[in-house]
Amino acid sequence: MRHERGFSLIEVLAALLIVTFVITSSLWAFLERNKRLQQASELILAYQALANEAEFLRRAQYGTLEAYGDTFQSQKVSTLLLPLEPYSTKVNVELVKLGVKNVTMTIRWHNEEREARLALIRVDTGDRPEGRSLF
Amino acid sequence: MRKRNQSGHTLLEVIVSLTIFGTFLAIAFGLTAEMRRWEKRLPVNFMRHPQIMSVIARMRRDVLDAQIPKGQPMYIKEHDGYVNGSKTLIIQTGLDTGLQTVVWDFSEPGVVRRVSYNVGVKTEWVARGVPSDFSAGTDIEAVEFEGRPYGVRLMAKDTYGRLAIDQILQPRSYE
Repeated sequence: MRHERGFSLIEVLAALLIVTFVITSSLWAFLERNKRLQQASELILAYQALANEAEFLRRAQYGTLEAYGDTFQSQKVSTLLLPLEPYSTKVNVELVKLGVKNVTMTIRWHNEEREARLALIRVDTGDRPEGRSLF
Repeated sequence: MRKRNQSGHTLLEVIVSLTIFGTFLAIAFGLTAEMRRWEKRLPVNFMRHPQIMSVIARMRRDVLDAQIPKGQPMYIKEHDGYVNGSKTLIIQTGLDTGLQTVVWDFSEPGVVRRVSYNVGVKTEWVARGVPSDFSAGTDIEAVEFEGRPYGVRLMAKDTYGRLAIDQILQPRSYE
Protein backbone atom coordinates (compact mmCIF):
# COMPACT_ATOMS: atom_id res chain seq x y z
CA MET A 1 0.00 0.00 0.00
CA ARG A 2 1.35 3.42 -0.91
CA HIS A 3 0.75 4.95 2.53
CA GLU A 4 3.19 2.48 4.19
CA ARG A 5 6.05 4.01 6.16
CA GLY A 6 9.62 3.51 4.95
CA PHE A 7 11.16 3.53 1.48
CA SER A 8 10.95 1.16 -1.42
CA LEU A 9 14.03 -0.65 -2.74
CA ILE A 10 14.15 1.65 -5.74
CA GLU A 11 14.17 4.71 -3.49
CA VAL A 12 16.95 3.32 -1.31
CA LEU A 13 18.99 2.32 -4.35
CA ALA A 14 18.55 5.72 -5.96
CA ALA A 15 19.56 7.45 -2.75
CA LEU A 16 22.60 5.18 -2.37
CA LEU A 17 23.55 5.78 -5.97
CA ILE A 18 23.47 9.53 -5.48
CA VAL A 19 25.41 9.34 -2.20
CA THR A 20 27.94 6.96 -3.75
CA PHE A 21 28.37 9.23 -6.75
CA VAL A 22 28.89 12.32 -4.60
CA ILE A 23 31.32 10.68 -2.19
CA THR A 24 33.24 8.84 -4.92
CA SER A 25 33.69 11.94 -7.02
CA SER A 26 34.82 13.94 -3.97
CA LEU A 27 37.22 11.18 -3.01
CA TRP A 28 38.47 10.91 -6.59
CA ALA A 29 39.12 14.65 -6.71
CA PHE A 30 40.96 14.49 -3.40
CA LEU A 31 43.04 11.51 -4.49
CA GLU A 32 43.80 13.07 -7.85
CA ARG A 33 45.01 16.20 -6.12
CA ASN A 34 47.12 14.10 -3.80
CA LYS A 35 48.53 12.11 -6.69
CA ARG A 36 49.54 15.28 -8.51
CA LEU A 37 51.16 16.64 -5.37
CA GLN A 38 53.12 13.41 -5.06
CA GLN A 39 54.16 13.67 -8.68
CA ALA A 40 55.28 17.23 -8.04
CA SER A 41 57.33 15.99 -5.06
CA GLU A 42 58.93 13.34 -7.24
CA LEU A 43 59.77 15.94 -9.84
CA ILE A 44 61.31 18.19 -7.19
CA LEU A 45 63.53 15.30 -6.05
CA ALA A 46 64.52 14.57 -9.63
CA TYR A 47 65.40 18.17 -10.37
CA GLN A 48 67.40 18.45 -7.16
CA ALA A 49 69.41 15.45 -8.31
CA LEU A 50 69.81 16.96 -11.78
CA ALA A 51 70.99 20.28 -10.31
CA ASN A 52 73.51 18.41 -8.15
CA GLU A 53 74.77 16.47 -11.14
CA ALA A 54 75.12 19.70 -13.08
CA GLU A 55 77.56 20.86 -10.39
CA PHE A 56 79.71 17.79 -11.07
CA LEU A 57 79.41 18.14 -14.84
CA ARG A 58 80.36 21.79 -14.66
CA ARG A 59 83.67 20.65 -13.20
CA ALA A 60 84.35 17.65 -15.41
CA GLN A 61 87.11 18.21 -17.92
CA TYR A 62 85.78 19.33 -21.28
CA GLY A 63 87.89 16.86 -23.19
CA THR A 64 86.68 13.85 -21.22
CA LEU A 65 82.97 14.64 -21.09
CA GLU A 66 82.08 11.81 -23.47
CA ALA A 67 83.61 9.33 -21.06
CA TYR A 68 81.57 10.61 -18.12
CA GLY A 69 79.14 7.68 -18.26
CA ASP A 70 75.45 7.42 -17.48
CA THR A 71 75.85 7.05 -13.73
CA PHE A 72 75.25 10.21 -11.76
CA GLN A 73 78.31 11.04 -9.65
CA SER A 74 76.16 12.96 -7.18
CA GLN A 75 74.20 9.82 -6.38
CA LYS A 76 77.34 8.24 -4.99
CA VAL A 77 77.08 10.65 -2.08
CA SER A 78 73.33 11.24 -2.00
CA THR A 79 70.31 9.06 -1.31
CA LEU A 80 67.94 11.67 -2.68
CA LEU A 81 66.58 9.51 -5.49
CA LEU A 82 65.87 6.43 -3.39
CA PRO A 83 62.11 7.10 -3.25
CA LEU A 84 62.03 7.00 -7.05
CA GLU A 85 63.53 3.54 -7.30
CA PRO A 86 63.70 1.84 -9.69
CA TYR A 87 64.99 4.70 -11.80
CA SER A 88 67.52 5.11 -14.57
CA THR A 89 69.92 7.93 -15.37
CA LYS A 90 71.55 8.99 -18.60
CA VAL A 91 74.10 11.59 -19.57
CA ASN A 92 74.22 12.51 -23.23
CA VAL A 93 77.06 14.61 -24.61
CA GLU A 94 76.64 16.17 -28.02
CA LEU A 95 79.18 18.26 -29.88
CA VAL A 96 77.20 21.26 -31.12
CA LYS A 97 80.14 22.92 -32.86
CA LEU A 98 83.84 23.11 -32.33
CA GLY A 99 84.48 23.95 -28.69
CA VAL A 100 80.84 23.73 -27.63
CA LYS A 101 79.15 20.68 -26.18
CA ASN A 102 75.57 20.19 -25.11
CA VAL A 103 75.30 17.98 -22.03
CA THR A 104 71.86 16.56 -21.29
CA MET A 105 71.09 14.72 -18.08
CA THR A 106 67.97 12.58 -17.84
CA ILE A 107 66.29 10.70 -15.03
CA ARG A 108 63.48 8.26 -15.76
CA TRP A 109 61.33 6.55 -13.19
CA HIS A 110 57.93 4.96 -12.70
CA ASN A 111 58.55 2.31 -15.37
CA GLU A 112 60.25 4.93 -17.53
CA GLU A 113 56.93 6.76 -17.83
CA ARG A 114 58.10 9.85 -15.98
CA GLU A 115 61.09 11.86 -17.00
CA ALA A 116 63.06 14.89 -15.87
CA ARG A 117 65.74 16.42 -18.02
CA LEU A 118 68.27 19.18 -17.62
CA ALA A 119 70.77 20.39 -20.18
CA LEU A 120 73.82 22.59 -19.89
CA ILE A 121 76.24 23.91 -22.43
CA ARG A 122 79.93 23.39 -21.88
CA VAL A 123 82.43 25.54 -23.70
CA ASP A 124 86.04 24.60 -24.21
CA THR A 125 87.91 27.23 -22.23
CA GLY A 126 91.08 25.21 -22.08
CA ASP A 127 91.40 22.50 -19.47
CA ARG A 128 94.20 23.01 -17.03
CA PRO A 129 96.64 20.17 -16.30
CA GLU A 130 95.39 19.97 -12.71
CA GLY A 131 91.85 19.42 -13.93
CA ARG A 132 90.61 22.98 -13.56
CA SER A 133 88.70 24.89 -16.15
CA LEU A 134 86.99 28.24 -16.08
CA PHE A 135 83.48 26.74 -16.00
CA MET B 1 3.33 -14.91 7.17
CA ARG B 2 4.88 -11.59 6.15
CA LYS B 3 2.53 -8.82 5.22
CA ARG B 4 3.36 -6.08 2.74
CA ASN B 5 2.13 -3.33 5.06
CA GLN B 6 4.85 -4.08 7.60
CA SER B 7 7.40 -1.29 7.99
CA GLY B 8 11.11 -1.85 7.23
CA HIS B 9 12.84 -3.65 4.36
CA THR B 10 13.08 -7.19 3.17
CA LEU B 11 16.28 -9.21 3.60
CA LEU B 12 16.93 -8.91 -0.13
CA GLU B 13 16.69 -5.13 0.02
CA VAL B 14 19.13 -4.94 2.92
CA ILE B 15 21.58 -7.34 1.25
CA VAL B 16 21.53 -5.42 -2.03
CA SER B 17 22.02 -2.10 -0.23
CA LEU B 18 24.85 -3.46 1.92
CA THR B 19 26.54 -4.98 -1.12
CA ILE B 20 26.54 -1.67 -2.94
CA PHE B 21 27.73 0.20 0.10
CA GLY B 22 30.37 -2.46 0.84
CA THR B 23 31.70 -2.22 -2.71
CA PHE B 24 31.94 1.51 -2.37
CA LEU B 25 33.75 1.20 0.98
CA ALA B 26 36.21 -1.31 -0.49
CA ILE B 27 37.02 1.08 -3.33
CA ALA B 28 37.40 3.98 -0.92
CA PHE B 29 39.68 2.03 1.41
CA GLY B 30 41.73 0.74 -1.49
CA LEU B 31 42.29 4.23 -2.83
CA THR B 32 43.17 5.76 0.53
CA ALA B 33 45.54 2.86 1.31
CA GLU B 34 47.34 3.50 -1.98
CA MET B 35 47.54 7.18 -1.11
CA ARG B 36 49.05 6.37 2.29
CA ARG B 37 51.66 4.12 0.66
CA TRP B 38 52.70 7.00 -1.61
CA GLU B 39 52.86 9.39 1.31
CA LYS B 40 55.16 7.07 3.26
CA ARG B 41 57.47 6.64 0.30
CA LEU B 42 58.16 10.30 -0.41
CA PRO B 43 59.66 12.89 1.92
CA VAL B 44 57.89 16.09 2.85
CA ASN B 45 58.25 18.55 0.01
CA PHE B 46 60.15 21.36 1.72
CA MET B 47 60.79 22.94 -1.66
CA ARG B 48 57.13 23.98 -1.79
CA HIS B 49 57.86 26.44 0.99
CA PRO B 50 58.68 29.89 -0.43
CA GLN B 51 60.97 30.82 2.46
CA ILE B 52 63.04 27.67 2.00
CA MET B 53 63.28 28.33 -1.72
CA SER B 54 64.52 31.86 -0.99
CA VAL B 55 67.10 30.55 1.46
CA ILE B 56 68.44 27.99 -1.01
CA ALA B 57 68.50 30.42 -3.92
CA ARG B 58 70.36 33.04 -1.91
CA MET B 59 72.75 30.52 -0.42
CA ARG B 60 73.47 29.11 -3.87
CA ARG B 61 74.44 32.58 -5.09
CA ASP B 62 76.66 33.17 -2.05
CA VAL B 63 78.49 29.88 -2.53
CA LEU B 64 78.82 30.56 -6.26
CA ASP B 65 80.40 33.93 -5.44
CA ALA B 66 82.61 32.50 -2.70
CA GLN B 67 86.23 33.52 -3.01
CA ILE B 68 89.18 31.94 -1.40
CA PRO B 69 92.04 34.34 -0.67
CA LYS B 70 95.40 32.81 -1.52
CA GLY B 71 96.72 30.62 1.23
CA GLN B 72 93.45 30.66 3.14
CA PRO B 73 90.83 27.94 3.51
CA MET B 74 87.45 28.52 1.87
CA TYR B 75 85.56 28.11 5.10
CA ILE B 76 86.27 30.47 7.93
CA LYS B 77 86.23 28.70 11.27
CA GLU B 78 84.60 31.43 13.29
CA HIS B 79 83.42 34.98 12.91
CA ASP B 80 81.68 37.38 15.30
CA GLY B 81 80.69 34.59 17.67
CA TYR B 82 79.52 32.23 14.91
CA VAL B 83 81.35 28.94 14.54
CA ASN B 84 81.40 26.99 11.29
CA GLY B 85 79.56 23.69 11.74
CA SER B 86 76.63 21.56 10.66
CA LYS B 87 74.17 24.40 11.33
CA THR B 88 76.39 27.33 10.39
CA LEU B 89 78.28 28.18 7.24
CA ILE B 90 80.81 31.01 7.11
CA ILE B 91 82.24 31.99 3.73
CA GLN B 92 83.74 35.00 2.01
CA THR B 93 82.23 36.36 -1.15
CA GLY B 94 83.52 38.95 -3.56
CA LEU B 95 82.03 42.41 -3.97
CA ASP B 96 83.17 45.57 -5.76
CA THR B 97 84.21 46.91 -2.37
CA GLY B 98 86.26 43.83 -1.57
CA LEU B 99 85.57 40.66 0.30
CA GLN B 100 82.56 40.31 2.54
CA THR B 101 82.04 37.66 5.14
CA VAL B 102 78.71 35.86 4.99
CA VAL B 103 77.31 33.75 7.80
CA TRP B 104 74.41 31.36 7.25
CA ASP B 105 72.89 30.34 10.54
CA PHE B 106 70.32 27.54 10.81
CA SER B 107 70.66 26.98 14.54
CA GLU B 108 67.43 28.69 15.64
CA PRO B 109 64.28 26.60 15.03
CA GLY B 110 61.97 28.15 12.43
CA VAL B 111 64.46 30.84 11.48
CA VAL B 112 67.28 31.01 8.96
CA ARG B 113 69.63 33.94 9.33
CA ARG B 114 72.05 35.38 6.78
CA VAL B 115 74.46 37.88 8.27
CA SER B 116 76.93 39.68 6.04
CA TYR B 117 79.86 41.82 7.12
CA ASN B 118 81.17 44.27 4.57
CA VAL B 119 83.63 47.06 5.34
CA GLY B 120 82.52 47.07 8.94
CA VAL B 121 78.82 47.14 8.15
CA LYS B 122 76.73 44.26 9.42
CA THR B 123 73.60 43.41 7.44
CA GLU B 124 71.10 40.79 8.45
CA TRP B 125 68.52 38.99 6.33
CA VAL B 126 66.18 36.67 8.18
CA ALA B 127 63.81 34.07 6.80
CA ARG B 128 61.11 33.51 9.38
CA GLY B 129 58.33 30.98 9.37
CA VAL B 130 60.55 28.21 8.08
CA PRO B 131 59.13 24.82 9.18
CA SER B 132 60.73 23.84 12.48
CA ASP B 133 61.41 20.30 11.24
CA PHE B 134 63.40 21.85 8.40
CA SER B 135 65.59 23.69 10.89
CA ALA B 136 65.97 20.60 13.04
CA GLY B 137 66.83 18.35 10.12
CA THR B 138 69.26 20.69 8.38
CA ASP B 139 72.84 19.64 8.04
CA ILE B 140 75.60 21.53 6.24
CA GLU B 141 78.72 19.74 5.17
CA ALA B 142 81.53 20.04 2.66
CA VAL B 143 81.55 18.03 -0.53
CA GLU B 144 84.72 17.25 -2.40
CA PHE B 145 85.21 17.87 -6.09
CA GLU B 146 88.33 16.51 -7.66
CA GLY B 147 90.83 19.29 -8.29
CA ARG B 148 88.43 21.93 -6.99
CA PRO B 149 87.80 23.74 -3.72
CA TYR B 150 85.29 22.03 -1.50
CA GLY B 151 81.66 22.64 -2.35
CA VAL B 152 78.82 23.03 0.12
CA ARG B 153 76.18 20.41 0.67
CA LEU B 154 72.93 21.47 2.27
CA MET B 155 70.80 18.59 3.48
CA ALA B 156 67.47 18.56 5.28
CA LYS B 157 65.56 15.60 6.60
CA ASP B 158 61.88 15.65 7.45
CA THR B 159 60.34 14.55 10.75
CA TYR B 160 60.46 10.90 9.64
CA GLY B 161 64.16 11.08 8.78
CA ARG B 162 63.61 11.06 5.02
CA LEU B 163 66.03 13.13 2.97
CA ALA B 164 63.95 15.97 1.51
CA ILE B 165 66.61 18.44 0.45
CA ASP B 166 70.08 17.63 -0.78
CA GLN B 167 71.66 20.51 -2.63
CA ILE B 168 75.24 20.53 -3.75
CA LEU B 169 76.54 24.05 -4.28
CA GLN B 170 79.89 24.91 -5.73
CA PRO B 171 81.92 28.11 -5.92
CA ARG B 172 82.67 29.65 -9.27
CA SER B 173 86.20 29.39 -10.52
CA TYR B 174 88.31 32.56 -10.38
CA GLU B 175 91.75 31.41 -11.36
